[in-house]
Amino acid sequence: MRFLLRRLGFFVLTLWAALTINFAIPHLLPGSPVTAMMARYHGRLNGAALQAVESALGIDTHQSLFGQYLSYLKNCATFNFGTSVANFPTPVTTIVGTAIPWTLGLVGVTTVLAFLIGTAIGSIAAWKRGGKLDSVLPPLFVVGTGLPYFWVAIMLIMVFGEVNPWLPTAFGSDNTVTTGWNSDFIGSVLQHAILPAAAILVTSIGTWVLTMRNTMVTTLAEDYVRMARAKGLPGRRIMVDYAARNSILPNLTGFAMSLGFVVSGAVLVEYVFSYPGVGYQLVQAVDNEDFPVMQCLFLVITVAVLLSVLLADIITALLDPRTRSAR
Amino acid sequence: MTNLLRAIRHNGKAAAGLFILLLFLLMALVPGLIAPGDPARITPDTSLGISGQHILGTTAFGQDIWVQVVHGARPALLIAVVSGLFATVLSVLIGVSAAYLGGVWDDVLNLFTDVVLVIPTLPLVVVIAGYFAHHSISVMIIALVVTGWSYGARQLRSQALSLRNRDFLEAAKVRGERRSYIIVFELLPNMTSLIVANFLGAALYSILTASGLEFLGLGDVNTYDWGTMLYWAQNQSALQTGGYVWAAVPGLCIALLGTAFALLNNAFDEISNPALRPVRRLRVAA
Amino acid sequence: MTAVATAVLMVTAACSSSGAPGGGSTGSGKRGGVLTISNESGGLWTCSFNPFNNSVNYLSTGNVYEPLVFVNALQNDKTTPWLATKWDWSNNNKTMTFTIRDGVKWSDGTPMTAADVLFTFNLVKKFPALDINSIWQVLDSVQQVGSNQIVVNFKSAAVPYFYYIADQLPIVPEHIWAGIKDPVTFKDDTPIGTGAYVVNPCTAQNITYTANPNYWQPGLPKVTTVRYPAFTDNAPANNYLATGQAQWGSQFIPNIDKFYTQKSKDNHTWSPPITQVSLFLNEKVAPLDNPVVRQALAYATDRQQAATIGEGGQEPAGHQLGVVEETYPDWVDPSAKATDDYSYNPAKADQLLESVGATKGSDGIYVLNGKKLSFTVINQGGYSDWVAALQVVAQGMKAAGIQLTVDNLSNDDWTNKLFNGKFDIGYYGETGGPSPYYELRQWMYSANSAPIGQPASTNYERYNNPAADDLFNEYATTADPTQQKAIVAKLEQLMLKDVPVIPVTESVAWYQYNTKNFTGWVDQQNPYAVPAAFSYPDMGQVLLHLQNK
Repeated sequence: MRFLLRRLGFFVLTLWAALTINFAIPHLLPGSPVTAMMARYHGRLNGAALQAVESALGIDTHQSLFGQYLSYLKNCATFNFGTSVANFPTPVTTIVGTAIPWTLGLVGVTTVLAFLIGTAIGSIAAWKRGGKLDSVLPPLFVVGTGLPYFWVAIMLIMVFGEVNPWLPTAFGSDNTVTTGWNSDFIGSVLQHAILPAAAILVTSIGTWVLTMRNTMVTTLAEDYVRMARAKGLPGRRIMVDYAARNSILPNLTGFAMSLGFVVSGAVLVEYVFSYPGVGYQLVQAVDNEDFPVMQCLFLVITVAVLLSVLLADIITALLDPRTRSAR
Repeated sequence: MTNLLRAIRHNGKAAAGLFILLLFLLMALVPGLIAPGDPARITPDTSLGISGQHILGTTAFGQDIWVQVVHGARPALLIAVVSGLFATVLSVLIGVSAAYLGGVWDDVLNLFTDVVLVIPTLPLVVVIAGYFAHHSISVMIIALVVTGWSYGARQLRSQALSLRNRDFLEAAKVRGERRSYIIVFELLPNMTSLIVANFLGAALYSILTASGLEFLGLGDVNTYDWGTMLYWAQNQSALQTGGYVWAAVPGLCIALLGTAFALLNNAFDEISNPALRPVRRLRVAA
Repeated sequence: MTAVATAVLMVTAACSSSGAPGGGSTGSGKRGGVLTISNESGGLWTCSFNPFNNSVNYLSTGNVYEPLVFVNALQNDKTTPWLATKWDWSNNNKTMTFTIRDGVKWSDGTPMTAADVLFTFNLVKKFPALDINSIWQVLDSVQQVGSNQIVVNFKSAAVPYFYYIADQLPIVPEHIWAGIKDPVTFKDDTPIGTGAYVVNPCTAQNITYTANPNYWQPGLPKVTTVRYPAFTDNAPANNYLATGQAQWGSQFIPNIDKFYTQKSKDNHTWSPPITQVSLFLNEKVAPLDNPVVRQALAYATDRQQAATIGEGGQEPAGHQLGVVEETYPDWVDPSAKATDDYSYNPAKADQLLESVGATKGSDGIYVLNGKKLSFTVINQGGYSDWVAALQVVAQGMKAAGIQLTVDNLSNDDWTNKLFNGKFDIGYYGETGGPSPYYELRQWMYSANSAPIGQPASTNYERYNNPAADDLFNEYATTADPTQQKAIVAKLEQLMLKDVPVIPVTESVAWYQYNTKNFTGWVDQQNPYAVPAAFSYPDMGQVLLHLQNK
């Protein structure tokens, strides 16, 4: 319990740090929603009209910095993120809300998949250490970790979209199909997810394979594994119940911690495929200098990563008896 | 240096990585000798295919792709090395201090490291870049350093912790050496391999993130390196108009350079400290 | 992202016309068909159709909401009656009287009347944020006379403002909008207009327009379903066009022959130029205050290469006359044209610079009065075609001994610097109008300028010439085309002599169309409207003209 409480404390603290960074960036750096709005209206907006727009955007420059910080925290707590500059007067939450399911579906599913497949390959490679699989795969996956996500995405489009026009290369679904729970739409969504999912898998799987292999190699040298072998337990049972189970915990922690990297890569993949998720929207918001949307998206991404870390911690606590006792 | 030589002799991965790195280093040092010409020079010979005159063809603006690729090595390496270096310095400062100072300092620095580690970097860097009116290399390097040090600090801290109570450090303490002396002359020399590995890791992170940013148009679009080349290729729909070379080769270079850093980093990790080898990328939950 | 000229157009001639139908195809073609528009939108749809909101009005003006009169920029300001059947200037061109069409219904069945028109004028007066063309800065009052006449009184003679009140003001229903508390933030997701289409339905990915059953022009529109998918990026939008999935395109297609036109015999393109993208030379910065130096810069600007390489040959080179010759040939004064020798000519630039005492330094760059001829040009970094064009220009200037550094800025920063005059040279394309007069006025009218540090409305280079001001003031009082052209001819001469701005390329209304299933498209022989899907209300005219094959 103490372990979980500590992790919860860490979660809250990191969340606060992210919120504060998010508040500090626009106040430390040049650029502001007001000037962006003026730019958008090419100066045609003046006097009363400008004030009307400013108040609609929820910009109040007369408050003290600390006062602004407090009302910012309050707004975050109540999910009041103001109005988009580029798509005035759409609320930021509407824009961000439409993006979240896409990213959860694509990045969430592929990340879990990459973790599962990577862990499986890693443990098999370690089990058959020095075998064919173990000599070929790890170096290959090392190369995989050095590949830029977006370039892999571009190459996939080149091979499967241009040279051989087999798969759709843009959007989350065919945009003439009606959105909803119908087979046309679901089929179209799945078809559109193939290439971006492949890009994320190819580049992120290597990390899990390597970590799992390395951890498992150590575990296999532990006394209890040798003991199990000496007892003549079946190989498969030793591999799964003894070695893999004990190696997966550190890998899980690593998974949570490295999620930030994966999410970062996914932003670029979404951009290349014009996939309507949070990463793509973030780049669009930066292009449009839509600061309120930009800030909200950054928060959403950070909170998602933090929640995954917390989730991984809870699973660790459930799987590992040691964390349940003192510590 | 001896570590490096040993690494290469015993490790095929390290040798391959070093070979690629040296190749790019050569490009970065004397681009004019390898591919004479101005990478920015716009000519009316637009979108040409591969030929004797243009080894890799030309861009939609009539620029020679081969010249751009070769001249792109310098800024790419510069970003990787400079931000890798600064990030490593930061990692050492924070990671080693945390371990050596211990107590509340360790708790605070360690927590700080964890917080930075968890916050997704690219979105943060994108947001930072978004607020800047000019997109320059220096802004990018600062953003990369600020976001890229935490992973290394974490690793260095745990190694320093394991070294802290070793005999040679105790001996130095008994001799009455100052703390700073012990850290600089006793502790750090014993961590060089890991520091080098960390530098390579940070350089890898930098080259991938920087080219990603440039690809998004958040770099300086007037400088020609591989990331900006890809930005222009994407912008001019190179893939859709048959400009495959334009879209593939710069990315291949980033991938190769990234691979070189990844291979060297991996090799160094394995050599640096047998105790750490298997638990790479692993952190004990606090 | 590519720079797109939003076609803001104006009319010059005061016209009077009798009430023929408001444009569109005649004949008895069959109804039906599904047309798909492919126009890069930059984001998903917000399903807002508020016609007074600058960022979405192109989605509802012309097809859903209609203006009083259609003014065609491509045919010498030709007017077509729309919701007004008749209009006349009186009181020395200070009063305009519109006669409102009978028998028009809103799409919910309620009749449209002159009261709705009066309401619309007063609505934008009451909420200045809705008055996107600032018409109330020149309007004095608007009244309804009788059952079907609207009288618009201007503060002074205002012939050029006809376009803004007649073509650019979408008429909205009083019975809906009077109940809207805050029309500035009003989303208007189910717009009720008089136009040929209604929104049915809109999702974030796709807007579907279907024919308005109550439309006042019987038998129209012929194409009964229009799809407008949200294309968040250029490449997929262009792919839709290339594969024939979309039939009407409105964005830059790189290498268009390979990408689009060669892929099908039904694929066509014709993007008419409307305005120009120019270098604004800050006259408050020495030595750009010297007209000879400005002339030298104009000779050192390689417009042709900027157009063919920077813009991929899809935008014509600009003209120092300041007139988009391809679209407005009648406005080019032959004697002015005869004296225009501003083609790329480094030798001529050398000669001019040496005539004012400049000497070439060892690095090949001229030095004048101890100062290097080295300028920074501020540019909108997000417009990749502008970035490329400026690289070409800088390369050409260097060969003429002038150093040009391109500073690619964020839109925000670029706009602020441009407006406040904090630059050596600015790169920008004006919104212009249907006659060259408007772009010239935006560039050169001193009242549009401001001191450095204060935002200018358009005259960013701070050009100030009383002779030019007099010409612009004179123009506003005349409705006679011959006299108007004589005035523009004098302005062209000033452009050549003073070089306040250097037009580098022209800026076009991007337009691609597919003739497999539809006919009646705008083409060079029949340019009945500005054909870009983002041009409003022109897009409504295009939809009314389309026929099923």
